[in-house]
Amino acid sequence: MMDHSRTQAALRGLVFIFVFVLPFGFAPPSAAAETEERAGSFIRSLATEAMESLTQEDAPRNKRIQRFRKLFNDHFAVRSIGRFVLGRTWRKASKEEQTEYLKLFEDLMVVSYVDRFTRYAGKNLTITRTRAESAKSTTVFSEINTANTGKPVQVLWRVGSLGKVMKIVDVIVEGASMSQTLRSDFGSIVRQKGGKVSGLIEELRKKTATLKASAP
Amino acid sequence: MRVGTWVQTGVLAAFLVLIMSVTGGCATSPNPADPEAVAEFNAINDPGEPANRAIFAVNRGLDAAFLKPVAMAYRDMTPQFFQDRINDALDNLRSPVIFFNDVLQGELERAVATVIRFMINSSLGLLGLNDIATDLGVEGHDEDFGQTLAVWGIPEGPYMMLPLFGPSNPRDAIGIVVDFLIDPFNIWAGNTDRDYAIYSRSAARAVDLRALHMETLDELEKSSLDFYASIRSLYRQRRVNEIGNGDPSDNLPVISIGTAP
Repeated sequence: MMDHSRTQAALRGLVFIFVFVLPFGFAPPSAAAETEERAGSFIRSLATEAMESLTQEDAPRNKRIQRFRKLFNDHFAVRSIGRFVLGRTWRKASKEEQTEYLKLFEDLMVVSYVDRFTRYAGKNLTITRTRAESAKSTTVFSEINTANTGKPVQVLWRVGSLGKVMKIVDVIVEGASMSQTLRSDFGSIVRQKGGKVSGLIEELRKKTATLKASAP
Repeated sequence: MRVGTWVQTGVLAAFLVLIMSVTGGCATSPNPADPEAVAEFNAINDPGEPANRAIFAVNRGLDAAFLKPVAMAYRDMTPQFFQDRINDALDNLRSPVIFFNDVLQGELERAVATVIRFMINSSLGLLGLNDIATDLGVEGHDEDFGQTLAVWGIPEGPYMMLPLFGPSNPRDAIGIVVDFLIDPFNIWAGNTDRDYAIYSRSAARAVDLRALHMETLDELEKSSLDFYASIRSLYRQRRVNEIGNGDPSDNLPVISIGTAP
């Protein structure tokens, strides 16, 4: 008599593989590819939005700052970047200090980047490729053509994702990370003020006041 | 080296010693009881910070008084066409040094590209004034002996702010000297009593670079809380990028978005 039980076991095993394992085996790679594509479109739409809202010549500076603030909050993970930039001092700060710091941080970012973005907004941004760093992080490689000297500027966008939400967590221009540079900058101030956040907050207040008052 | 250069080196060394003694040279060490602070201090690797800051202040003064006004005038009054020609010619003059460093790093493909570029741009490109090679698909790159030392595995050492030359470190400073000595243009000028050519070329390159980075540096200065610290961080990140020939570093900060981004 034939050994049905072993054949049946083999068949059951095959069914198990085809129904349960393979679909999940294939799913993660395509999910990552989907995230990469979404990240690419995310950056592309940011470039288009920036170009539309920031390159209107007639807009006075505070109108441009307003528009940029909205653009910034919509597309950048402001809170997460702020926490990273503060480093280990975040843990030592009180709730009120953290809140005030984040508000001033956002102010500084908006006022100091609005001019930079306005300069780049009209230029061609070409996305060259995307790369998944992890399930939640994608790097979008792009080039921006500036007017002088043919060589385009390499700009990397680190996009973090949490479910459907996508936000930029870092901008890296020719190898220089915005977040890392800010972290070194703020870290130096904190050290000079004896490790206290209050000293940094004071400097941030002064700096944002100066920047807002200065002409474009 | 000729006597003049030795005298200049001596003056520079004396200047540095003076600065360091006046500012009390070394940075205050962190509290040894705080391991995070100690780790941070070591990571920053800037034991000469007070002296470096003093030199930085001097550099900024010289920049504001001399280099920046000239660079701004150059930018505003020289037609873009001429600025591009000068930039292309200066880049082309660097080709021999770039070639040597490509070879020393074992980057033979890049070395060949450098030779091709030099030949095309010097002939068809009219003595380097036109960067025809890039239009033909042979893109350029920069190299220096500091990068070569890095590729050979030599660590950068503590942060050093050099008078005039700006941010650097022991390894890159040696690189500057070696590149200067092996540059055929400088050797030729030295042998034929045309030292002024070396100064003119250095001055032209300084103005060219300053004009190129005008807006980036201006914006960084305006928005930085501590411009010295920003420059230090920026310099190091750029060097890593240059040494790796543009490959994205694995050391990029890891930031994840929290539940309330």
